Amino acid sequence: MSETALIDRRWIARDAERASTARFLLWLFPWVCLLLLGIYAAGLCFYYGLNQTNMDNRFAFGMWIFLDLSIIAMGAGAFFTGFLVYILKQTDLKPVLNTAVVVGLTCYSGAVAVLMVDVGQPLRAWFTFWYPNTHSMLTEVTFCISCYLLVLILEYIPVLVQNRQLRRVPSFLVFEHQAHKLVPVLAGVGAFLSFFHQGSLGGLYGVLRGRPFAYRQGFAIWPSTFFLFILSAIAVGPSFLMLVVAAAEKITGQTLVDFRVYRKLGFISGVLLAIYVAAKAIDTYVWLNVTSPRLGFGPWDYYSYWPFSSTFLFAATVPLGLLPAILFIVPRTARHRGLLLLAAALTCCGVLLNRFVMTVQTLALPTLPFDPFLKYIPSWQEVATFGGVLAYGVIVYSLSYRYLPMFEATKGEAKNVSLD
Amino acid sequence: MFPWTDGFHWTPTHIIFLSLFGAALLAILSTAVWGLWNTLNAFRKHLAAATCWRQNFGELPATERRCRHELAGRVPSRLCDHAFDCRTCPNYEKLAALPANAPASLAGVSYSDDLLYHRGHTWVRSDWDGTFAVGLDPFAQHLVGSPDAVQLPEICEEVESEGVAWTMVKNGHKIRVRAPLAGTVISTGGPDRDFYLKILPHGQPNLRHLLKGPEVAGWLAAEVVRLQMQMSNGKTTLADGGTLMPDLMDNEPGADWDAVLESTFIDR
Repeated sequence: MSETALIDRRWIARDAERASTARFLLWLFPWVCLLLLGIYAAGLCFYYGLNQTNMDNRFAFGMWIFLDLSIIAMGAGAFFTGFLVYILKQTDLKPVLNTAVVVGLTCYSGAVAVLMVDVGQPLRAWFTFWYPNTHSMLTEVTFCISCYLLVLILEYIPVLVQNRQLRRVPSFLVFEHQAHKLVPVLAGVGAFLSFFHQGSLGGLYGVLRGRPFAYRQGFAIWPSTFFLFILSAIAVGPSFLMLVVAAAEKITGQTLVDFRVYRKLGFISGVLLAIYVAAKAIDTYVWLNVTSPRLGFGPWDYYSYWPFSSTFLFAATVPLGLLPAILFIVPRTARHRGLLLLAAALTCCGVLLNRFVMTVQTLALPTLPFDPFLKYIPSWQEVATFGGVLAYGVIVYSLSYRYLPMFEATKGEAKNVSLD
Repeated sequence: MFPWTDGFHWTPTHIIFLSLFGAALLAILSTAVWGLWNTLNAFRKHLAAATCWRQNFGELPATERRCRHELAGRVPSRLCDHAFDCRTCPNYEKLAALPANAPASLAGVSYSDDLLYHRGHTWVRSDWDGTFAVGLDPFAQHLVGSPDAVQLPEICEEVESEGVAWTMVKNGHKIRVRAPLAGTVISTGGPDRDFYLKILPHGQPNLRHLLKGPEVAGWLAAEVVRLQMQMSNGKTTLADGGTLMPDLMDNEPGADWDAVLESTFIDR
């Protein structure tokens, strides 16, 4: 074993089986290249401005916002798993808790990083906190996401200090012990914040009176999209978590969690997805028959522009909504790992499609008689910046998996040790 | 959002909104501060070593958490759930009264019946002046041989039970040796003397957590098996009946010494 490999091995949990240093570096290489390309593209946007993108004053929300909304929804697995484990005491989900935290942290920090580029004036990013628009849903989103990112960082620290070498620093070990006592509080605060910002992300479309495709009626100050976004986020969070763990198992060739954990995550996802599909169906029915006609738009005014046909609506509701819900809930299909993962993938695709429709289709459709149908294709800088975020997520998860006890902590847990 | 922001009104909606976010932010910051404060307090009140030890103990595999009474052959199988602190074990008296049936072989290592042994491979000797001498036990000496460097605490320095008593360096490996009891260091020795530290405890110490008599033989037998397994890298094991080779770290440089030392000195 070379000296480098020996040093690397000393940072890996003692009983953990990990790839050789060379193999791990080979795995990281393309992702590091993608990250560097993303940083370069973001640098161009910082240096030259948002003219590097294909967005304009009419099409102000593009690929970045669509994918931001999507990864924030998928990162909901972090708060929801924490809520299930610490508040609802579903301790059998503990094996995926560390993964949920890392996935949540990468999703949220990645989304915030892209938003910093999207703001166009990163040096004035703090204005959103100091001079907030009190009438904007985005204010609530900004505050909640920033606070929740703090929560995720605090939740990640105890995972981080479980590293084999960091554990040798007594202050880290004591802090880890203290931090574990705080995690239920953070899980509660995280659930509260996530509930509101997931909702507000939907709410900000639902309140757009000038965009009949997105505008919805609702309850009190919240349009129906507020609740639909929460439901879809907590439905897709566990699904995405399943896919991440399954991908880690496939890549490492190891069984990391018991199949019962998959089934439980699937069942939770399925029940929530079924509720979401039912609520979405009612919402769509009311919107097409009541809300939209009142604003002077018939249902087909939205679906006659290629490629935004009614297929999108059908796809988001049936094959990417109802079907995975059935696959998750029916015991015969839920017994098959492959079908469970297929359902999880369909759920993620459904939420991606929903966020795409709410972001891109909403802005593309004309709202006034003289408005043209707008077309938008992201520039390479937009794609590369988001590719950088994807690479960042993979790198952080890979490093966390390699050097932190993501699953080992629960595998060899000494059940009867009193720590107080 | 804030009272100084244009558009803010002292209406219930704005106040509720501001209060909710203020409460959430306060909860996050106060939990972080609370965690840091408790960490600092643990060091100030000398609880840090015990906390670290319990955290480390929680990471030990079941094979390394065997109760002293199992090692002594008093009970067929029992795992410790008190972080090897028999002073807090409610079953200690009952189990200690059972007849022992420990293996006789000591793998060529001599252990004294007059000494008490800590699971981190140190021995403790009660001296006539009320102090306690602490040294490295023969098993650890066979492993480490002559250390390349030793860092001992200063005279008058406080050591905490299960905290770091002293550190050694051997072939690039840093070894932290756990203190078997708490107290003030009044004298330091080293590899060339018959002790490493002399400790004056605060009051009369309770040393029930230290091994003695037949427990030592059983514990040593288990440690030798563990060492054989680790040095054979999980492949073949050595035959019974051999004796422990001196200066193992020098004689077997290719072994996974990180793993061996972590297990031997319970420093995961």
